[in-house]
Amino acid sequence: MPKPTKGPRLGGGPAHERLMLANLAAALFTHKRITTTETKAKRMRPLAERLITFAKRGDLHARRRVLGVISDKGVVYELFDVIAPQVADRQGGYTRITKIGNRKGDNAPMAVIELVLEPVTPKRKAPAATKSPAAKEAEKAAKAAAEAEAVEQTTADETAVEAESNDAPQSEAAESEPAESEAVEAEATEEAAEAVEATDTDDESIDAGEDDAK
Amino acid sequence: MAVPKRKKSRSNTHSRRSQWKAQVPNLVKTVENGKVTYSLPHHAKVVEDSAGTPLFLEYKGRKVADV
Repeated sequence: MPKPTKGPRLGGGPAHERLMLANLAAALFTHKRITTTETKAKRMRPLAERLITFAKRGDLHARRRVLGVISDKGVVYELFDVIAPQVADRQGGYTRITKIGNRKGDNAPMAVIELVLEPVTPKRKAPAATKSPAAKEAEKAAKAAAEAEAVEQTTADETAVEAESNDAPQSEAAESEPAESEAVEAEATEEAAEAVEATDTDDESIDAGEDDAK
Repeated sequence: MAVPKRKKSRSNTHSRRSQWKAQVPNLVKTVENGKVTYSLPHHAKVVEDSAGTPLFLEYKGRKVADV
């Protein structure tokens, strides 16, 4: 089901738009490749692909429905008996739009819309798909490990800096002693220190406790 | 006929005109035969021969249109 278009109609009204799109589609089916503005190409694409779907169905009812849009029987014959067999293997995506820059006269963005009539080349995605998730997981694991190491290093650096900002003997103790004894030392100095410094050492001891947890 | 009641000040005129700016196009840088070329993304490119005359438009290795 094509998505309904946003914005105003092309041309002067709904009927004008229908006629323009039908004529563009007819031109596409006769010439296989037409140059038009980007907007018209994009608007015409769903209609043209729908008509090709009808053509692939190929029965009389489908032919009459297409004739309701394109009134030229010659074009409909071309669509049903020449184009439809060529795209029989293709599951949609019958047209290709390529932007080719702006028009000289009014600077309108132009595009080439063409029928994709090449035989379908099956995508060899199966081996690539099986490989890529494993590779992605490996990359993710490596990244996570690297990030974790970085976080640990930063926290350790922060605690070291905080310890240095405190009293000199305490910082020496923090640097020299292992992390487990650090908290004990901090508490000991906290008792000895004054009330102003007690808050700083308290924070430092909390940080040391976090370091212990890791 | 309706006419403006007040003269439009120079400040307002300049403020309006200062909003009219050129947009910088988003270009893709590619190196072809040791030559750096800039092109619009998702657009067909002009293929030139050695003399520099344009031959045709190409997109993803496919000839799209004549110049």
